[in-house]
Amino acid sequence: MSEELIQIETPFAFNAENQREFDELIGRYPIKEAAMLPTLHLAQRQAGYITPAVMKYVAELLEVTVMKVKDVVTFYPMFFEEPVGEYVIRVCHTLPCALRDCKVVLDHLKAKLDTDIASETNLAKGTTADGKFTLMKVECLASCDVAPVIMVNDDLYKNLTPEKVDEVLDNL
Amino acid sequence: MVEERRILYEHLDVPDINTFDVFRQYDGYTRFEKAIAEYQPEEIAQMVLDSGLKGRGGAGFSTGEKWSFVPRDIKPCYLCCNADESEPGTFSNRYVLEKNPHLLIEGILICCYAMGIETTYIYIRGEFTLGKKMLDAAIKEAYEKGYLGKDIRGTGLNVDIYSHPGAGAYICGEETGLIESLEGKRGQPRNKPPFPAVEGVFRKPTVVQNVETLCNLPFIVGNGVEWYTQMGPTYADTRFDPPKPDANTGTKLYCISGDVNEPGVYELDLGLTCTELIEVAGGLRGEEVKAVIPGGSSAPILTHYELDTRLDFTSLTLAKSMLGSGGIIVMNETRNIVDCLLNIMKFYAHESCGQCTPCRWGTPWVRDIVQRIADGNGRKDTITRPKFGVAENGRWGDTGETEEIYEDLDLLESVANNIANVDTMTWNTICVFGIAVSWPAVSYMRKFRPEFEATIREGKLVTLPVAEATVPPEENYAYQQRFVPKEFADL
Repeated sequence: MSEELIQIETPFAFNAENQREFDELIGRYPIKEAAMLPTLHLAQRQAGYITPAVMKYVAELLEVTVMKVKDVVTFYPMFFEEPVGEYVIRVCHTLPCALRDCKVVLDHLKAKLDTDIASETNLAKGTTADGKFTLMKVECLASCDVAPVIMVNDDLYKNLTPEKVDEVLDNL
Repeated sequence: MVEERRILYEHLDVPDINTFDVFRQYDGYTRFEKAIAEYQPEEIAQMVLDSGLKGRGGAGFSTGEKWSFVPRDIKPCYLCCNADESEPGTFSNRYVLEKNPHLLIEGILICCYAMGIETTYIYIRGEFTLGKKMLDAAIKEAYEKGYLGKDIRGTGLNVDIYSHPGAGAYICGEETGLIESLEGKRGQPRNKPPFPAVEGVFRKPTVVQNVETLCNLPFIVGNGVEWYTQMGPTYADTRFDPPKPDANTGTKLYCISGDVNEPGVYELDLGLTCTELIEVAGGLRGEEVKAVIPGGSSAPILTHYELDTRLDFTSLTLAKSMLGSGGIIVMNETRNIVDCLLNIMKFYAHESCGQCTPCRWGTPWVRDIVQRIADGNGRKDTITRPKFGVAENGRWGDTGETEEIYEDLDLLESVANNIANVDTMTWNTICVFGIAVSWPAVSYMRKFRPEFEATIREGKLVTLPVAEATVPPEENYAYQQRFVPKEFADL
């Protein structure tokens, strides 16, 4: 990532609330770098996704290189490097959900939102034109007893059928 | 019918058990108080060793033994609680975190007291947002009530607990992967040795325990070792002379999902059979059991001939499978094993951390082979090659017969075995992820070979009736070695 690229981005800084939370976080670890994941979660919550400016900011906070932050961001599926919709819909498609027809739920969501499924390298593919939803498949969400499940942002919805999916989307 | 024995889950459904006051009404923190009042730290560690408690996270290693490897003179020592529950089919920790987080805190306190640990990190899955919220609230409350922090209850004991969110990587459930991730790096597992007990997080001795293991501690301390060892079978390990007792004590939170009528978590004594467990979970949804995965998606599959296998650490190891994290997935007669394997291989190809070459390249390769078979493009060629043997003229040579060859099945087995060899149990990777890939790949293919062959032959997914899809027990590589061990008490 070149310096130029970082400069054309809007600079990023934590707001007061997140700064407070960060100050509390950093005291938990004997080395600053260890606060990487919680800090990136905070930053993503504020910025929507991890921009190069966010990486630069986090790197300065944790006293590591930008490359090291990038290294971590690219490893974990929960960090986005591209803009995502207001609601991120994660559809579990691992075996226990597959045995309970998660494909029906996924196809229904695809038709209803009129979008494809996002891939990790192309989130725009699964984002609706109005930028409201991003549809993605994820691996096991550890709720196999109430399969099929989806997660909409932070909330888990269980035992889904196409009708229940409609209900969930209407209530957002 | 086997009765549920709720110990860890006993008060799970009590309203507001997640609050300190209600938890306290149900003996909350009294076991910790008993521990610090009546026992020395070494005595607690000895009790855990005597109880035979085995780690519930997957490897099934004796907890007490693990603790005994931790050097007591190097400080600080850390405890990492593994709440990164991501094995497909496992979901018991989620309920503990969401509904009864104080039980986990009490377990952590007992472990910290026994091991002289002052700092604990709970590595919680990034997707467990509700669980993290409840856990953080409980930790905050415990600090306020004086059960965490400095000089707990005037005993001079200091314990801090911090929750640390993961970010969706399966491999961070592996203990050294978890440690790397906790240090703020990519979650790529470390070479062992040194084991975390000697050199773990921040290069200090570290105890890594699963949520369920830690939740067992209050009950071992509260009710005593004798009470605990009554539950579950203890076998004789006859490889030793005299036979060494092999304990499978305590209860297990069995997570059952798939084709059963009442999927969910059932807390039962270790050592019941697959058939019994399916019965407890409201019976099978469908006509016939086709296959059972006994310990999360990494575990080798069991056929309907093997349903009498007891679900405990020892019996499943002998049956060449594993109890793992206790996630049981049941499949009925309508399921296609090729399709199921494809689903699982997609999971592993996605989750390989990319550190070791055999795994990084092998997992997508295996996935592609299974995909090809499932798409109907399996390299059947049912190529025929001359079969060598004693020919008509009585001499060694071409017998004139031909042999059908399923090239892709041989390739699948070869690639999988080169990530980790299931027969010799050696892996060419740093961590056991390798074996978690080749175990399902090879076991599904060997045990349900007729279904794979039919799929390749017909050029489309073919679901055979259960009896035809499964290889008979005498040809089943795992069935051969399987024996139900004698109870230690019988000897």
